[in-house]
Amino acid sequence: MDHQFYLWMSYGATALALAAEMVALRAGRARARRLIEEERDLEAQD
Amino acid sequence: MNAATATAGPVSAGSFATGFAWSFARDLTLAIRHPGETLLVVAFFVLVASLFPLGVGADPQLLARIGPGVIWVCALLAAFLSLPALFAGDYADGTLEQMTLSPHPMPSWASGKIAAHWVASGLPLTVLSPLIGLQYGLDPATLGTLAAALLLGTPILSLLGAACTALALGARGGGVLLALLALPLFVPVLIFGAGAAEAQAAGLSPAPHLSLLAAGLILALMALPFAICAAIRIALD
Amino acid sequence: MNFYYFSSPATFYRLAGTMAPFFFAAALATGIAGLYMGFVVAPTDAQQGEVYRVIFIHVPAAWMSMFAYFVMACYGAISLTFNTRLAAMMARAIAPTGAMFTFVALWTGSFWGRPTWGTYWVWDARITSELVLLFLYLGFIALANAFEDPRRGDRAAALLAIIGVVNLPIIYFSVQWWNTLHQGSSVSFKGTSMHVAMLWAMLLMAISFWMYTIGAALVRCRTIILERERRAQWVRAMT
Repeated sequence: MDHQFYLWMSYGATALALAAEMVALRAGRARARRLIEEERDLEAQD
Repeated sequence: MNAATATAGPVSAGSFATGFAWSFARDLTLAIRHPGETLLVVAFFVLVASLFPLGVGADPQLLARIGPGVIWVCALLAAFLSLPALFAGDYADGTLEQMTLSPHPMPSWASGKIAAHWVASGLPLTVLSPLIGLQYGLDPATLGTLAAALLLGTPILSLLGAACTALALGARGGGVLLALLALPLFVPVLIFGAGAAEAQAAGLSPAPHLSLLAAGLILALMALPFAICAAIRIALD
Repeated sequence: MNFYYFSSPATFYRLAGTMAPFFFAAALATGIAGLYMGFVVAPTDAQQGEVYRVIFIHVPAAWMSMFAYFVMACYGAISLTFNTRLAAMMARAIAPTGAMFTFVALWTGSFWGRPTWGTYWVWDARITSELVLLFLYLGFIALANAFEDPRRGDRAAALLAIIGVVNLPIIYFSVQWWNTLHQGSSVSFKGTSMHVAMLWAMLLMAISFWMYTIGAALVRCRTIILERERRAQWVRAMT
């Protein structure tokens, strides 16, 4: 039925948004780790 | 014009009235001496309001239908454009910091500043709106309601806009950031303000919309000056 | 007992790390239960057929979008009142998740409106206010990141969140003030006109989204703590 399209678009977009957020959380954490490494390198240079 | 001339003595306590009065007088004098800002606001308002009939066609019924909303949007955008100048000059040359040291309570001179800003931007828009409304073919009752709604709404816009401007002082992103902050907060004012004029045009009573606008104005007058002062303090730290 | 033990980023970092998995697990459990109730137990709607089942995402997302903003504003108020760092970091942590749920509410509402009202979008009071809420979230995130000094961004964004909280009652009451296209409240404390299985599915999904928001905010807050405190001893000793 036509209504399947709307249900899929709704639930699909929600699943995508949740997945995107998980990915963003991972990426943020990786970025934080990278910044800490840079700090450590900067300090090692002193 | 400097802060020292307004105090009664070397160590006197300031008062709200004095603080408001000198700040209002100072900013109003500056606005009168440099009328460019006000003229810009007015010119923008008239220009953009003239663009719409050129864009959507000159059908009188259509213009009368969209008139209240379009005029409100133009007034809102014109008021928005006048916001950066509110604190920018004083922030740049350090006057804002000096004023924070004033013996008068901070909300007093901040309110005076915003009141003067409204007199130089919101009030001319309100006064001009019936003329623009005539261009759109609105009937006299609707013109009156539109002016009343703008009279109540533009001070709210000035107060909300001042809060956003103070928050964004010295931020990266400039005008776009200010738009993102201020325009969403303006939306309820726009809805009720334009709604009042549209209700009048449809033959219904605009009283509910105007009452809500008035309530919003009272709330803004009572609460926002403190928020604006907090924002200025954050900006000056 | 020291009530302020966990208001230090260092101690809160470990606490958040321990708590987050439980919240995600709770979100998954209630989510599965809610979807089961919604798709298997709840019957087909008499008027709308199957498409009404969007409600199990739409309404919980809308509720979360408003609740998350309120919590964010509360953290903002706490951070300004007590001049703490951690409350401001929590406010920043909540914002993206809140914005996501606002977008989901608008998107699912749009795809529910098309088959039922005939249009993807209508400028109705509640929908417009929800759109404004999305911009309030974006404004918060933009302002918080607009300054060199992160503490200045913290404070400015906290004040902005407090000013914007006025929008929440407007969203909530807008459906009463304007009798417009959007459905009025079917759920209140006095009772509901909904079928009980639909109601339970909706509530379970709401709890699921709530648990998820807490989990995501905790994880994001940990990342923010790591970035902000990267010069501190405990961070460098850790990794």
